[in-house]
Amino acid sequence: MKGVLYLLLLVGACNTALAHQPVMDMAPRWNNGYGIQTRTEHANSTTTQWLEGVYTFKPSVRMTFKLPYADGEFGDAIVAVPIKHYKNAGGFTSSWGLTPSVAMPTGGGSDWDTGLSLSYSAETASLFQLYDVYTLGDKTGLDVNIGPVYADGNGSSLFTLWDVTAVDSASGQRILTGPVLMYFKRNVVVRFEYKMPLLDNDNEWDGDFISAGIGIVY
Amino acid sequence: MLRKITFLALLCAIFSGSLSAQNYVVSVHGIVCELCSLGVAKKLRKLSFIDPSKYDEGVKVDINNQLVYLAVREDAALDKTVLFDAIEAGGYQPIEIWAIDSAGEKLEVSQ
Repeated sequence: MKGVLYLLLLVGACNTALAHQPVMDMAPRWNNGYGIQTRTEHANSTTTQWLEGVYTFKPSVRMTFKLPYADGEFGDAIVAVPIKHYKNAGGFTSSWGLTPSVAMPTGGGSDWDTGLSLSYSAETASLFQLYDVYTLGDKTGLDVNIGPVYADGNGSSLFTLWDVTAVDSASGQRILTGPVLMYFKRNVVVRFEYKMPLLDNDNEWDGDFISAGIGIVY
Repeated sequence: MLRKITFLALLCAIFSGSLSAQNYVVSVHGIVCELCSLGVAKKLRKLSFIDPSKYDEGVKVDINNQLVYLAVREDAALDKTVLFDAIEAGGYQPIEIWAIDSAGEKLEVSQ
């Protein structure tokens, strides 16, 4: 267990917004698909509203953007180009993803940050798992989501996942963990997550993390 | 000889019946999530030979068995190449298609 924690700290992680891609890490994976989502995050006594979107050129190439809004101001917009390689086999699908990203100084300042993410996700009709190692600016991290899926066979499913997020940045390290609930009905997805600190040596972090969001794909 | 001809005629009748079937099933590798499979259904519903009056606008996805059910219009013929291209554009890998009767029983297999 200690070794695992040490490994998590080595790779680090930053906040949820940097690790995940719209819409809710899942869709659309079809040609010319698009989607939009909004999430409200509460952490460090600050509430941030994220507006996020995605366009899928083809299953292997998509483009995403994320724009934060907090304390009456827009923050730095992040544009990314997830490149995915899917493998389908019977009742199993998986993908490797490589995602270069750039954070633009839309929130003021003049610094442009670049990032890179390496992710792996695998899914059956009853189990979902996602692993994402990434870096952006001074932050490096690992995000893990894993848990069972309950599909009703009529267009809706409930994902009950467990999240582990590890963070390493200039201000220190932290590991957060907690449950994620995600539910979709046809093309509408809602997601709720709560994480509490398992380890906190981060000077700029304080307390729990809560996020709630809704997205739609076409 | 007469018995052989009768048998062949019967065989032809059976196969001609299967060819006129209007419902099909496609096995699709990896199609395990209803949200992610929306693209497959969306692409298939746009095909001219799909009958939107059956299933869910002509298409039904079974993620537990990785099957896609299709209803084809009576005045149209299913185009397998176009169909498989649409499924691939939806992000998944079609493997096999066969016709089914009104009870859902398999009528014919074609690779």
